[in-house]
Amino acid sequence: MSALPRPATIFLAAITTLVAVLLYSPLFVPIVSSFFTISHGDVDWSSPTLSTYRALAGNDDILAALRTTLIVGICTVILSVVSGTLLALYYHGRRSGRSILQFIIFLPFLMPPIISGLALLIFFREIGLERSLLTVVIGHTVFVLAIVYRTVLMRLQSMSRTLVEASYDLGATGWQTFWRIILPNLSSAMVGGAILAFALSFDETMITILVTGTQSTLPVRLWAMMRLGFSPDINALVALILMFTVLLCVLAARFLIPRQMAAERT
Amino acid sequence: MSAAATIQPPERRLSLLVTVLAFALPVIFVLVPLAIFLVYSFFSVDQGTIVYAPTLGNYVRFFTDPIFLPVFWNTIVLCLSVAVICILLAYPAAYFLTTLRGRWRYALLMLLLVPLLMSYVIKIYAIRSILGLNGFLNKALVALGILQQPSTLFVFNMNAILLTLSLLLIPFAILPIFLSLERIPQTLLRASDDLGASGLQTFLRITLPLSLPGVASAASFVFVLAIGDFLTPQMVGGISGFTFGRILYSQFGTAYNWPFGAALSVALAIVVICAILIGERFGRSRGTSI
Repeated sequence: MSALPRPATIFLAAITTLVAVLLYSPLFVPIVSSFFTISHGDVDWSSPTLSTYRALAGNDDILAALRTTLIVGICTVILSVVSGTLLALYYHGRRSGRSILQFIIFLPFLMPPIISGLALLIFFREIGLERSLLTVVIGHTVFVLAIVYRTVLMRLQSMSRTLVEASYDLGATGWQTFWRIILPNLSSAMVGGAILAFALSFDETMITILVTGTQSTLPVRLWAMMRLGFSPDINALVALILMFTVLLCVLAARFLIPRQMAAERT
Repeated sequence: MSAAATIQPPERRLSLLVTVLAFALPVIFVLVPLAIFLVYSFFSVDQGTIVYAPTLGNYVRFFTDPIFLPVFWNTIVLCLSVAVICILLAYPAAYFLTTLRGRWRYALLMLLLVPLLMSYVIKIYAIRSILGLNGFLNKALVALGILQQPSTLFVFNMNAILLTLSLLLIPFAILPIFLSLERIPQTLLRASDDLGASGLQTFLRITLPLSLPGVASAASFVFVLAIGDFLTPQMVGGISGFTFGRILYSQFGTAYNWPFGAALSVALAIVVICAILIGERFGRSRGTSI
């Protein structure tokens, strides 16, 4: 961009700062509150404490929900990475039928989650599958599949064809080429996709609410608790979850961005 | 030739397995449920059980009942307003990012996008506590002397939904606008400068028109995400903040009328598909002509 006049730059910088403050304010409020006690709706700012964190460690409901969330997340990651990679390998370089099936994969991601969730809810009922963690895992996998698929496909497309040809020229079989050339080249995209899938599954609420049985994931549990207003130990949980998500973001960026930028430069 | 022959068997076995999986997964878990869902919208409910006989009753009810169409329309207007607010805030921010150089540009972009991955429910909860009667916003406004006493203007009503959704969805507007601004060739801006245009003229005649595809995608993203959300209205809307998503959700919970809920979803899906198509149409037409 050409150099802007000074007042314009100041104006733009001010709006950008405002946007950043707006975006981060809902994240900082619970974190700051987590270190103070609240009585009668007022925060006692005089004495910082870790008591909310201690209370959290004794909250069995929340810990059970956290465990459920992790189980669902891990199952979702495994299923979506395996099937997303297979789908990407299948569609890569194929013309016929690809766009239609690709569109179907992207549907649950494009459609409002309430529609995907309700469609799955009715589907499970019709095939006689009880609502359980299995239905939650299926719902999450269908939802995050598009992300993993796209991440792996983009890497496949940026991968040089000559590597595979060289492997064949040197006498490697199809399997050897797959295990020694294609898979290692895809691995960082798969890891990045897996982290994104996990992050999305960890936070997915709208589909989960609709297809979950008696065991609920952390966001669903929190949602149920928030409608009544909840205890201060939730602020501690919020702070921990936010730190965890930042960690996931940094990890995902580490696996996904460097290669993409390198690809852009060439 | 013989080398090619040894490659074939495992490749073929693999591709057969992959073909089966490639078709089975999307079809069984995406297409079939959506198809069943569509069929359901033509069923009806009689005393708590679903009657599997085709009827247009749900759609007739949607169009004739005085409740549903107004809420539907109000929700569309609400979500359009959310899209407008998000773009008004995101455009200057995205523009500012493109004036930065190198590392800073992407570092700041990341900073503005990271809140996307933060827990949705928690953000809604925190925003609710900020907007609340005892919230930070009211306290700040009273402390600044703008208000005499805490206002109920943004507690449990449509304004609260509008503000919360806008706050949650701004990052979704920043990214497409930033990408379209970044794609504008520097040579065009320099040419405009050389030909004697002022900064404002260059912005209005070059930058703004060329960034409109990004604005269109941003608006379509934000609108679709806003209209599909039923958690935010449920959490911050209270009794007066009634949106279409909440009505839809209630059909599957308290009202237990799944076929009618499915018909309402079809109406929602049509609006969403239109929004996505419009976003695609305007997001692309100018983008490819560069």
